[in-house]
Amino acid sequence: MRAALLLAALGLPALALAGSPDLVEEGERWWTVSADPANPVACATCHFDPAATRGWAASFPKWKPLPPPHARVMTLFQANAEAVARHYRLRDPRRVAAAITAYLAAHGVGVPLSPGISAGQPVFPERLRALVTSVKRGRSLFARRCDACHRAGEAARALAAYPRVTDGRVESLEEFLERHRGEESLAWDSQVTADLIAYLTEESR
Amino acid sequence: MMLRASVTAIALFSVVLGLAAAGEARTVITGTVKSKAGQPLPGLALLEKGEIHNNVWDRGALVDANGRFTIELAEGGQYGLHVYSSGYIYSPQAVRVETGKTLEVTVTLVPEPTRANDPVITRAGFFPWEERRAKVTFVKLEVSDPNDDLGPQVLAFNAATGRVYAMDPPRKVLHLKANFPQGVYQLGIDSSQAPIKPRDWYFVVADHQCNTTDILSFPHEPRPPRVIR
Repeated sequence: MRAALLLAALGLPALALAGSPDLVEEGERWWTVSADPANPVACATCHFDPAATRGWAASFPKWKPLPPPHARVMTLFQANAEAVARHYRLRDPRRVAAAITAYLAAHGVGVPLSPGISAGQPVFPERLRALVTSVKRGRSLFARRCDACHRAGEAARALAAYPRVTDGRVESLEEFLERHRGEESLAWDSQVTADLIAYLTEESR
Repeated sequence: MMLRASVTAIALFSVVLGLAAAGEARTVITGTVKSKAGQPLPGLALLEKGEIHNNVWDRGALVDANGRFTIELAEGGQYGLHVYSSGYIYSPQAVRVETGKTLEVTVTLVPEPTRANDPVITRAGFFPWEERRAKVTFVKLEVSDPNDDLGPQVLAFNAATGRVYAMDPPRKVLHLKANFPQGVYQLGIDSSQAPIKPRDWYFVVADHQCNTTDILSFPHEPRPPRVIR
């Protein structure tokens, strides 16, 4: 009952599932076809092996080794947004990033969560340490910002419902958190949002 | 007593031998580069030391006609392995090598679907310059990019020494994710001990979208890139 109330408070139907089939299908299209007509290099051009990308969604949030000083812990949606903004040259990458996030999540259904660790890839201790620090910051932020209304374990269960389609509008968890009530605004592409989601992901395991 | 002394001596000798063997063990990244069709590809394998994309370039190697390369390292740790072959999108990969061990990797490259977006090396040159006691040769590379989104990968590789260099941009760039300027990049090499041999030098450039030039090798005369079918 409490969980249902919480989901309702978060604006979610109790049985919401991440990524409607249409959104997943749209994400697969964006995965295979570039949004930039001048540059046909798409995600799938280089990441062509479905087996290699199956564990991607489960490995987030994780440290993304972008060129300094931009390297940091990111959520899958944030990482996708950064990649499509750069490769597809999109001024607002959110819709495409949400669709690709839904596609990768559907592609990786059944893969156990392993934040920071990609199956078949080497483990980098420094990256894991950065993720642990991010989770700690997220815990502190949750206690300060969310704890009065939400329990972490229950909020964590809502993670799987995003990205979602509501009234034809696609919304990522990061965008939801940006517009959710709070003393301070959480920008969808910020480190603090990644911290909060890193903490909730840890709580959901 | 005698037996005990002999056993101790043998044990000590074994330990010394073991340490010597451990000291000799090489730290190596080796690998094979191929196309999606399995065809071996020649090119360059270049390493960043530490986290990938930090632009701290270290060692490198030529990839031979069989698609094989070997890079010997001073120490183990984390490296960013970047593999280039003319006509193909370069491949970046974070790797971790244990000291005294060999890491074997397989790299599959995909061809550039069009060369219209690729950066272009228009000129390369070597310019000795003497100033009082120092003797320096400036290596210069003129680079343009139709998308105007060059990244820090304007790279020079000396096959004789195995050293990789990120060349200095024509003007200061705020951070590595910014678009780097088009123009003349340069590198100052100490040539006081021996003159530079242009034959040893290779150049390659990639932009932020991973679009990659052909590898420019001696005699460093740029040719129009072609699409690999």
